[in-house]
Amino acid sequence: MDLSPVLTGFSVAFEPENLLFCLLGVTIGMLIGVLPGLGPAATIAILLPITYNLEPAAAVIMLAGIFYGAQYGGTITSVLLKLPGEASTVVTAIDGHALAKRGEAGSALGVAALASFIGGTASILLLSFIAPALAGVALAFGPAEYTVLALIGIFLVGTLGSGSLVKSAAAAAAGLLLATVGLDPLLGTPRFTFGTDQLADGIDFVIVAMGLFGIGEILYNLEHRDRPQSAVPAFGRAIPSRAQWLRSRLAILRGSAVGFVLGILPGGGATMSSLVAYAVEKRSAKDPSRFGKGAIEGVAGPESANNAAATSSFIPLLTLGIPANATMAVLFGALMLQGITPGPALMTEHPDVFWGVVNSMYLGNLLLLALSIPLIGVFVRMLKIRPGVLAPITIVITMLGVYSIRNNAFDMLLAVALGLVGYAMRKLGFEPGPFVLAFVLGSLLEGSFRRSMRIFGGDVTEFVQRPLSATLVGVLVLTVVVIPVLRAVRARQIDRATEPAES
Amino acid sequence: MNPRPFTRRGLLATTAAVPVAALTACNGVQGGADAAENDFPTRAVDFTVPFDAGGSSDLLSRAACLAAEEPLGQSIALTNKPGANGAVGLKELLSGDADGYSIALAVKSLFAITPLVVDDPDAVSIDDFRIIATLTNEAYVLVVHADSPYQSLEDLVAAPSLNYGTAGVGTGGQLSLALLFGLAGTEATDVPFDGGAPAVTALLGQEIDAVSGSLAETMPQIEAGALRPLTVFSEERSPFLADVPTAAESGYEVVVDQRRFVVAPGEVSDTVAGALVLAFEQARQDPDYQAFLQDNFMDVWEVEDIEARNHLSEAAQQYAQNVADAGLTLGDGS
Repeated sequence: MDLSPVLTGFSVAFEPENLLFCLLGVTIGMLIGVLPGLGPAATIAILLPITYNLEPAAAVIMLAGIFYGAQYGGTITSVLLKLPGEASTVVTAIDGHALAKRGEAGSALGVAALASFIGGTASILLLSFIAPALAGVALAFGPAEYTVLALIGIFLVGTLGSGSLVKSAAAAAAGLLLATVGLDPLLGTPRFTFGTDQLADGIDFVIVAMGLFGIGEILYNLEHRDRPQSAVPAFGRAIPSRAQWLRSRLAILRGSAVGFVLGILPGGGATMSSLVAYAVEKRSAKDPSRFGKGAIEGVAGPESANNAAATSSFIPLLTLGIPANATMAVLFGALMLQGITPGPALMTEHPDVFWGVVNSMYLGNLLLLALSIPLIGVFVRMLKIRPGVLAPITIVITMLGVYSIRNNAFDMLLAVALGLVGYAMRKLGFEPGPFVLAFVLGSLLEGSFRRSMRIFGGDVTEFVQRPLSATLVGVLVLTVVVIPVLRAVRARQIDRATEPAES
Repeated sequence: MNPRPFTRRGLLATTAAVPVAALTACNGVQGGADAAENDFPTRAVDFTVPFDAGGSSDLLSRAACLAAEEPLGQSIALTNKPGANGAVGLKELLSGDADGYSIALAVKSLFAITPLVVDDPDAVSIDDFRIIATLTNEAYVLVVHADSPYQSLEDLVAAPSLNYGTAGVGTGGQLSLALLFGLAGTEATDVPFDGGAPAVTALLGQEIDAVSGSLAETMPQIEAGALRPLTVFSEERSPFLADVPTAAESGYEVVVDQRRFVVAPGEVSDTVAGALVLAFEQARQDPDYQAFLQDNFMDVWEVEDIEARNHLSEAAQQYAQNVADAGLTLGDGS
């Protein structure tokens, strides 16, 4: 491998101007990540005009910084307020928020920041060395593979949290149903749109997450306003303890690997990565019952995974010109406006941009780590704010975020309606996590399955005839049938407990 | 933005009013422009992009608005209001004031193809709008994978069975291939994806046999040698793919293209519309704007309101006729 373009990239990344834009980008990213509902895609779209007059490398360095910076910031509200702003941080909210309630918010965020840094950095290293070779991975995944992947994800949703399996499954089913709203992806027939074209494109993930998690949770908490508040527990320290580090380090390594691989897949990769990382941690733990009640690995694994995935999701954009998600689509636009076409030729025609951006991510991650550790102490003080003050502020910001997705007031009404659903679910003991994740995976599953069936001419057996999808089917059978059955059998043999089979 | 002398703006607006008043007789006659209208614009103009940020419509709007700001003498603030192939944003435009401070981008497919797929009693009609400026004419190109055995359109339509990908239901790409394979009698299955990029990805992965997509979606891969263009569905050959024959040259009368243009609500006064028209006319001459079109493989479409209007309604009739003749229903997978 010829290293000179890589080194040129470092010199681009270290130019004072680019350093400044990198810092600017990650700081903005972190801030909008903290603000619930405001996402990187909308922010980058708003900031596009100021990049018109920048050098291409500087522009993309800043916009990319917003994207991965938001991944760091999003964790903070997930942990402190149980308000995930991205599909990929929904899982973090489960154990992260439980830790915060236990008074370990500081160390939960500390571990999350460290996990994000390691996951992000590991991913850039891998990207630098094997990105071109990996471009093919994105292409090897066709509709059939996505179908099985989404199916695995939906089954994994059942392992989330600590509530009853039946209730998780019911919530997931409701999420799948909600995912059908909008025009039928293959026929164009309106489904549950009630004659309005506001719903023609379905419902955005952020609206669902903000409604069910954010507004639902706030309503539920306000109901209990008159009760004496439990004393705000100590926040703990931001630097993780040795015991926590020992417990999370393997989770971080596994999460980074899972995130890097799944992040390459355009569409659904990042969400799947945090879900898979969580499931891996829960399954490999000696005592899985700790999960959902504040297991640090439940934060470390998914956080390293979603940051690794955020980085590797640049691979299809930079090597193939395929935007992997909404944010990448806007970045794609930013490059086009600069007169640079992201695609197979990017690396050879604009090595300064390619390597400048890639190498700036090392710095960006370092800056984010340096920013987050001291800021954790500031952010955890949010927990000290009285709910009567914090709740309305959160609602206003949430509504702003929801509006910013499509600049559409209808979406705010939708978020409120979903907030009422979230409140009812909370009252009845259903968890929003499975609902939201099944919602995200539902449209992936439906579209991919129906496309596969068209491609296969209606022959279902093709799913096990293609090597890659057959392998995935094997993984599915292994995790959903074989392992739970073996566990049940072993449990009976040891005659130790009456542990029921999972999923 | 940089403020301009008051007089120049007034002058611009009045001179513009004359030709425009002449060519838009179909619009409601306003009883003489009052002073406020002569000053138009005195504040920033809102420009709605009824599509997601980052897409072709969004990028084109940004480039055109950037070039139009100086001749207009005011800044143009862009907002993305996506939904239902642009219907959400355009309906919102119509529900607002027709004072010229709210304008939007519109696309041909919404008026010519969407009605073939979605039965919307409240669908927007081109008669509800005043066309401020026509901007682009974008060809759809039929591409196959570079390793594919199909070297020409004849090879492809002679295939025993095919799966083809499109950017989704009701897109020009879908219509063009449905019509082509309908005319050729090829047994072909339509696989609509959620946008052009996933369809191109699936073709690169050889999951499907062919894709009809915009040049913006396909040219980088064509230039990299990963995809092979077989035909274009435009009236004439595309300047960006001069060697690639049109479908009509091969004997298949399938002409489908995408066109993008700027609209204002229909009731906007002639004076105000004139100022906008003039600003966008100058924007189209801007070298940066022209370079943008070149970089993004967009051909120009620069005609006047009445001609654009005729083109859109003729295309809508033509497509409906073609689909009926071929016995197709877009979306049923045939």
